[in-house]
Amino acid sequence: MLDALPRLLPAFWVTIEVSAISLALAMLLGLSCGTARAFLAKRNPLTWLMDAYVGLVRCTPIIVQIYAAYLLLPKIGMRLDVFWIGVIALTFNSAGYQIEIARAAVQSISKGQTEAATSLGLGWWHTIRLVVLPQAFKRMIPAVTNEMSHLVKASAVLSVISLFELHKAATALQATSFKFVELLAVQAMLYLPLILGVSRIARYLETDVFGFEGKTETVDIR
Amino acid sequence: MSSDSRARLKPWTSASAMNVLDIQFMLEILPKMLFAALVTLEISVLAVVFSIALGILLTTWKLLGGKVSGALIQAFVEFTRGVPQLVQIAIIYFALPRFGVVLNEFWTGVVALTFIGAGYAIEIIRGAVESLDRGQRESAIALGLSELQTLFLVLYPQAARRILPPLTNELANVIKASALLSVISVNELTKVANDIIFEYFVVIEVLIELAGLYIVIIGGLIWLSRALEKRTRA
Repeated sequence: MLDALPRLLPAFWVTIEVSAISLALAMLLGLSCGTARAFLAKRNPLTWLMDAYVGLVRCTPIIVQIYAAYLLLPKIGMRLDVFWIGVIALTFNSAGYQIEIARAAVQSISKGQTEAATSLGLGWWHTIRLVVLPQAFKRMIPAVTNEMSHLVKASAVLSVISLFELHKAATALQATSFKFVELLAVQAMLYLPLILGVSRIARYLETDVFGFEGKTETVDIR
Repeated sequence: MSSDSRARLKPWTSASAMNVLDIQFMLEILPKMLFAALVTLEISVLAVVFSIALGILLTTWKLLGGKVSGALIQAFVEFTRGVPQLVQIAIIYFALPRFGVVLNEFWTGVVALTFIGAGYAIEIIRGAVESLDRGQRESAIALGLSELQTLFLVLYPQAARRILPPLTNELANVIKASALLSVISVNELTKVANDIIFEYFVVIEVLIELAGLYIVIIGGLIWLSRALEKRTRA
């Protein structure tokens, strides 16, 4: 088990890398689209488009999305490295959930807030940026950090398209060493602190940095 | 124009600009896919039923047992939430034969999904029991019921109604996780679709049908969960 560790650590780093890049991209996409979605009218083609996208992401398994990215991206002429296919697949998945998170958080801010801001003479941009978003962000934090740990877990599925991340590396070692249970235990010991660590950081952010007093209403979409 | 005439000669078989999708092929594989979807549903429903049973057992143990068993169960929950589902499936797949339990792929899949679902089931049951009025437990104890009787005769029956909506949602999640069973070659929907893709080298048609089936099943369950939630709240 100890011999395997140095050979697994680079792969572990790939896991972290692919999850972190996807998270950053998905946050950018998801939070901006989700905020926009919250303010769009119900009868707007953009709303339909986003709802269809969110529905597609939420109703199909991640492994199907990864297969789809792997098989379809070359068809439309994008010949990419598996790493970047993985990033695209995970971003596609996570952005869908994060649109929903951002939408739910922004819509949960009471209407009186925007009305009060407007009556104080703020334009729509200032209303959103100075009044709605700061409050909505607070409610998003638990859900978004939850999403972080989901992403790390989803990255293990990228092994099916032979991206050399932790799970794939361990599987490859299993095939040569036949130490199945030991390598699975090492994997669990590497994943567990990463994912639980992420949720610990989340709790720290919730309570200490952003100062939730007691239990605030938060959004949960999974 | 040549593609146009070709399309007219063989209306549904050529993938020209006129008809992008090979509908004929999609219809041909539909029975196979539907059967596989049935297997997916079967595995998932069995897994959810078992995980709820396991969840009730572990919750009872946690509520009645001492600190040690509580910590053990908490560790189990953290494990199921903190380790990727794919790794958990691999663990079940490789570890069960080591302990002398040799199952076929179908039941290995059920056990793996039960394991994955149980952690969440515990949380769902705990949440539902805690949401009940404290007076229920206190009056049951005051009437002379034992802790075990209180749980099974008073608290769980009332919690059952509140469990239903999150449970439907959980079933949707388990179905999504069941797609991962394709890596241990359980013949469920994703595996069958994947086999068809690499047998005929038809990608888009199969993927669309696959996604469509999942959307119908999972979307339906999410909708049902929401409807149930509205009813229980009202």
